[in-house]
Amino acid sequence: MRISRRRFLQGATAGALSVPTLFSNPFVGRALANIGNRYLVVLFLDGGNDGLNTIAPIDNGGATLRDAYDGHRGTGGGGLNLTPAQLLSIGNDPGSGASLGLHPGLHSLHDLHVDKGAVAFIQGCGYPEYSLSHEVSSSIWQTGNPLGNPAIAGTGWLGRHLAATYGASAIPGVTIDNSFAGVLRQSATSVLAIERLEDFGFPYDDFYAAGGDIAAKRAAFDDLYQAAGANAQSQLSFIGTSGVATLLSSEAYPPLHALYETERAAQNQAYDSVGRNTAEDLREVAKIIYGVEQGVTGVEARFFHLSNGGYDTHSDQGAGQTTGRHYELHAEVADSLKVFYEDLEDMGAADRVCVLVWSEFSRRLTQNSNGTDHGSHGPMFLIGGQVNGGVFGNHPNINDAALDGEGNSVYSQAALDPFRSTDFRDVYGTVLKHWCGMTQMQVQAMLPADAGNPNEYWTAPNFDLSLFLP
Amino acid sequence: MGNELTPLTTDEVRHVLRRTGFGAPPNELSKLLGAVGGNPTRGSVADVLLSFQEKGFRPNGNEFEKAHNKWINYLIKPKSALQEKLAIFFHDHFATSSSVVGNVRLMGGQINTLHLYARGNFKNLVKAINKDAAMMEMLDTVRNVKAVPNENYGRELLELFTLGVYDLAGNPNYLQEDIVQIARAFTGWDYFSNKGIPYLRDYEHDFMVEFPERGDKVIFQSTGGFGSGGMDITADGEGENEIDTVIDIIFEHTDTDGKNTVARRLAARLLEYFCHGGFGEPGPAEIAVIDQVIDESNFDTSWNLTPLLRAIFVNDAFFETAGVAPYSASTKKSVKWPIDYFISTIRLTGIRLQKSERRVAGGNYLGAVGHLTNMGQILLEPPSVFGWNWETAWISSATLLARFNFARDIVAARSVFNPAKLVDLDATDPGEIVDLVTDVLGIVDQVTPAEHQIFVDYLTDDGANPTIDLRDYEIRNTKLHGLFALVMQSPAYQLH
Repeated sequence: MRISRRRFLQGATAGALSVPTLFSNPFVGRALANIGNRYLVVLFLDGGNDGLNTIAPIDNGGATLRDAYDGHRGTGGGGLNLTPAQLLSIGNDPGSGASLGLHPGLHSLHDLHVDKGAVAFIQGCGYPEYSLSHEVSSSIWQTGNPLGNPAIAGTGWLGRHLAATYGASAIPGVTIDNSFAGVLRQSATSVLAIERLEDFGFPYDDFYAAGGDIAAKRAAFDDLYQAAGANAQSQLSFIGTSGVATLLSSEAYPPLHALYETERAAQNQAYDSVGRNTAEDLREVAKIIYGVEQGVTGVEARFFHLSNGGYDTHSDQGAGQTTGRHYELHAEVADSLKVFYEDLEDMGAADRVCVLVWSEFSRRLTQNSNGTDHGSHGPMFLIGGQVNGGVFGNHPNINDAALDGEGNSVYSQAALDPFRSTDFRDVYGTVLKHWCGMTQMQVQAMLPADAGNPNEYWTAPNFDLSLFLP
Repeated sequence: MGNELTPLTTDEVRHVLRRTGFGAPPNELSKLLGAVGGNPTRGSVADVLLSFQEKGFRPNGNEFEKAHNKWINYLIKPKSALQEKLAIFFHDHFATSSSVVGNVRLMGGQINTLHLYARGNFKNLVKAINKDAAMMEMLDTVRNVKAVPNENYGRELLELFTLGVYDLAGNPNYLQEDIVQIARAFTGWDYFSNKGIPYLRDYEHDFMVEFPERGDKVIFQSTGGFGSGGMDITADGEGENEIDTVIDIIFEHTDTDGKNTVARRLAARLLEYFCHGGFGEPGPAEIAVIDQVIDESNFDTSWNLTPLLRAIFVNDAFFETAGVAPYSASTKKSVKWPIDYFISTIRLTGIRLQKSERRVAGGNYLGAVGHLTNMGQILLEPPSVFGWNWETAWISSATLLARFNFARDIVAARSVFNPAKLVDLDATDPGEIVDLVTDVLGIVDQVTPAEHQIFVDYLTDDGANPTIDLRDYEIRNTKLHGLFALVMQSPAYQLH
């Protein structure tokens, strides 16, 4: 690993994310571009998903990928080798021609690929000067800012889009969690954190006198938080603004739970049958989307973030057996996504929803006893009815001679390299431009290019990956 | 510039108690004032607080909730609130989660260790954590064997427990190669499962003689002020000694300013914890304070936490958040941690929790684990090895609602919440009632005139009822209970 990054956050000091700052850029006009009647759902595989066991070579094709894989992922007790028979075919690696297969735990994602053509598998996504720290690399993916560019420091990549597109009173984003997602971080609009809609109501004492005194309590609360929101002290104003959005949304959002349960009982049941956290989290997203689709007043979220922890598989990872941890995680995510997709299809919204799946890094080719240490670049997924299904980007070069000193595959932007990497910012930029409706110039301001050797740095952004149907 | 001799007002002593403990209950205040002979100074107050006995406390039980609630009970009536605040700081610093460890008794052992070292020797604490059974499970030390070294502990030891990824100038403190070397030094450790006692399995340890091609274990060849040769981990003997030697070497690491890296990072984190978030991203002014408290305490050579904490508690930086309302852009404040919000509210309102769940007997009748889960901080269960995210990261619509629910549940718990014990029911002037309630809850000086008026308008229904008869059952249960909830739900009460 070369941690010799030119400072993670220049302008501020190194370390954690800086305090959210209002994004302002002369090239970005307000309300010029937006997502329209579409939705974007971002799903984080937290912990570092083993990309090499997520999309693996079934054969060598015109190179030696399968040999390299077999050389480091063993069979037998604790071995992580996925056999060609276990892998679910998705197509060929553009660079090497090797046939590629998905981890068997992802069979539901494979169904969406085969039956609907609704999955883009984007291989080898990473960035220059990679970090093996969960925290640093997660921040880099959240901010879209690997080299500490001060122009975009401290804000989430999608947060910058929200700040540039929505006004101060808008509530365009929801995190399904009890804390905010770094991806949506900014301070120009409000983002909600909701774990479960049915628990999101505002609490009033049920003492019966004076009608519970609710109107007076509400007015006083609103006055206090409005005043705090206008205060110059940064934490007080943050709390104030959050409280105002919370009060309003605590009245608008909780009814979405009953609305969905009443009107979509069959779909509701389908999530229950998956019975895992990611399914339950995605169901909360579905309830909100359903509310927006039904025109519920005060519900206008278009951007969602959720995560599945547990991908830090230093141990107990397992190969293709259904009891392995990686299998269980993948099955949870894929089964949940399939139910979600079918729900959206039934709502008539599948063509207007895009799910973007990311992880902070992949894992080491050479395994340890039954797990893997931190690695470099790995796959992303886009899922949706308007997603142009298939394989994009090249498999990382895992041939021994190509690995770096730590045994990780190397990020490359060399045009003629058959294993050329995909910079994750090209994926973000393509989504911002072709899904969120921003112009090339606006996206450039959101995701400024690196300087440096064009073979090793991201100097020629491409926000026109053909990830969406025309 | 104040110093240890600077006298403190009673309000400032309250501030000290709030920041070093959980709220400033009247009995603790009078006890502290008595201990300093009625003439409190920054130094004398700090000395009293830092004289707590270095005794352990073991939150254990045969299942998670019992252990959690044993600690909750202790936090409400601690031997030393400062010792608890420090134990929680180190619990965040060496974040270990019971569900990953899979054995709550081992967690109890770790928390006990954090109590024992809370104001002791930090270097010895890190050495103890090396061999702590819960940590060995958390970060895979027990799965780190010579044939397949596991880097998990070595990485977090450098990144989180000691050096940090970058120094204060933004330069990297170590390289991946250093982690690999440290992982090798830590191979072979395990513990006896019943008592958690650590031991080295020689046959799983990476002795140089067995792997001559790997050569010496050397770290910091390119970073850390040791020159191109780095430092040889095996210099003090191979095997058992190596993991202590690793710590000795790390604690000599200097950053690109030539300062001790571990001392600066820990001082910065303690300053951030006890003062404000500015120390999370220190600029030149904050860096000067970090270096000052190290110089005054010799922490970078003694590693003794007591003098370092004393230097922090007498520093002007510690009093920056003592400012009163109204706040301006330059006012420093810090967001109360959920555990602080929870424990201090229980202490200040005097309510008793019920049953083994430690329930608040009103509203949703949630137990302590339920409330704190919703607020975003379950003790013994930090979200990851990074611990919790501080300051405004504590605040979201979900966690705010959790705090609001807790406040509502308290005032709705009419069997245990008795405001007649807290305020004079003969008070009829709404402004006076607001003063009484905000004083009980410790924010009387943090309320602006405009906020005061909002509370008054609430009590009087915008002036319709200019006097309030708190002896009237319905008025008391509506408006006085309502005011308590509103103050606990107010923006100012989320800060300290």
